[in-house]
Amino acid sequence: MRLAHGLAHGLALGLALGLALVAAALVAAQAQDGGLLTQPAPPRKQAVTYLFPEQVTIAAGKPVPIELHFRVAAGLHINSHTPSTSDLIPTTLTLAEGSPVRFADQSFPRGDDFAFPVTPSEKLSVYTGDFTVRVELLAASAGEHLVEASLRYQACDNNACMPPHTVPVVFDVIAR
Amino acid sequence: MKRNAIVIAVVVLVLVALGAAGWANWQNRKAAASHLAAENTQAVLVPASDVSAAHFSSPLVGKPAPGFTLTDLSGKKVSLASYKGKAVQLNFWATWCAPCKIETPWLIELEKQYAPQGFEILAVSFDDLHKDDPKLLAKDKEEIVKGAQYLKIGYPVLIDGDSISKAYGDVDVFPTSFFVDRKGTIVAASMGLTSKDELEGNIRKALGEGK
Repeated sequence: MRLAHGLAHGLALGLALGLALVAAALVAAQAQDGGLLTQPAPPRKQAVTYLFPEQVTIAAGKPVPIELHFRVAAGLHINSHTPSTSDLIPTTLTLAEGSPVRFADQSFPRGDDFAFPVTPSEKLSVYTGDFTVRVELLAASAGEHLVEASLRYQACDNNACMPPHTVPVVFDVIAR
Repeated sequence: MKRNAIVIAVVVLVLVALGAAGWANWQNRKAAASHLAAENTQAVLVPASDVSAAHFSSPLVGKPAPGFTLTDLSGKKVSLASYKGKAVQLNFWATWCAPCKIETPWLIELEKQYAPQGFEILAVSFDDLHKDDPKLLAKDKEEIVKGAQYLKIGYPVLIDGDSISKAYGDVDVFPTSFFVDRKGTIVAASMGLTSKDELEGNIRKALGEGK
């Protein structure tokens, strides 16, 4: 009986000490890893950001012009809507299927000339910095609609290109 | 006395077992962390102001080039393993990549210049492929053929580069090149547009002539 009691007491003590050891080992491991296990992978640079509007109020049943504002990250450029050659990927804006509104018209800005440093005479048509896409928005019926569209683009810097990407363009439309 | 000895022995045993478990856990976490670090060695595009910024130190340099089998534009299977004994430049490109078009004429010249010494280029296309739609897939391939013909590429052009991207560190910046020596080891890598001289230096390294 006494032996069993002593054994239980000893085991409890051992367990507590053991847990402390495990915890110490984990803390040491975490310190050595520099917190790597909990750190996410470094984020890729997002080339284009949709800025605004978040909400527009328009008249229902007729096309209303609105402006959608975007920003290209510093140091990068994207092809314009009308790139200099047909094999380059143009910037395009597409509404999600089943959208409650439609774009009656779209107007992209003219691209700026850009040349890679090693081929200064070969001009590309690109967007850099902030740019605006004008669309004519048509909501057939009155009410509040969530517009979900996407801007597809292909970005490069002075030396390299990234694959084409899309950025969501989401805003509320209040049609009256 | 005897009872105390048994208690102490059991406690010591438990302590040793728990300590060993803690140690094993630490080792496992270290292994997982280094595995994660290797997976996170992806090339990230950053704005560059000059050509020298295009270089990067790939963690794959010094390691065996990951093996692959892809199809070329004629539908023939091409395996990297079949190039053992030759120096190979794996040039990851896409038809929509403007800097790739700038370096391609240099690559064509360098390939001709160094082919007699056993140098080959494999262009690996990262153009999207509609694998689920045979009609669109045929059109995709046609576009790559057109792009390669326009650039007068004479060396093999392989498609579906995306399928081997992960093995090469999740390549998503173009052009990217890996230079593989005759034994199949990656001896240099470049990301983005480099100069013709830089390319040549890396080719010579792959041939065993460089520093």
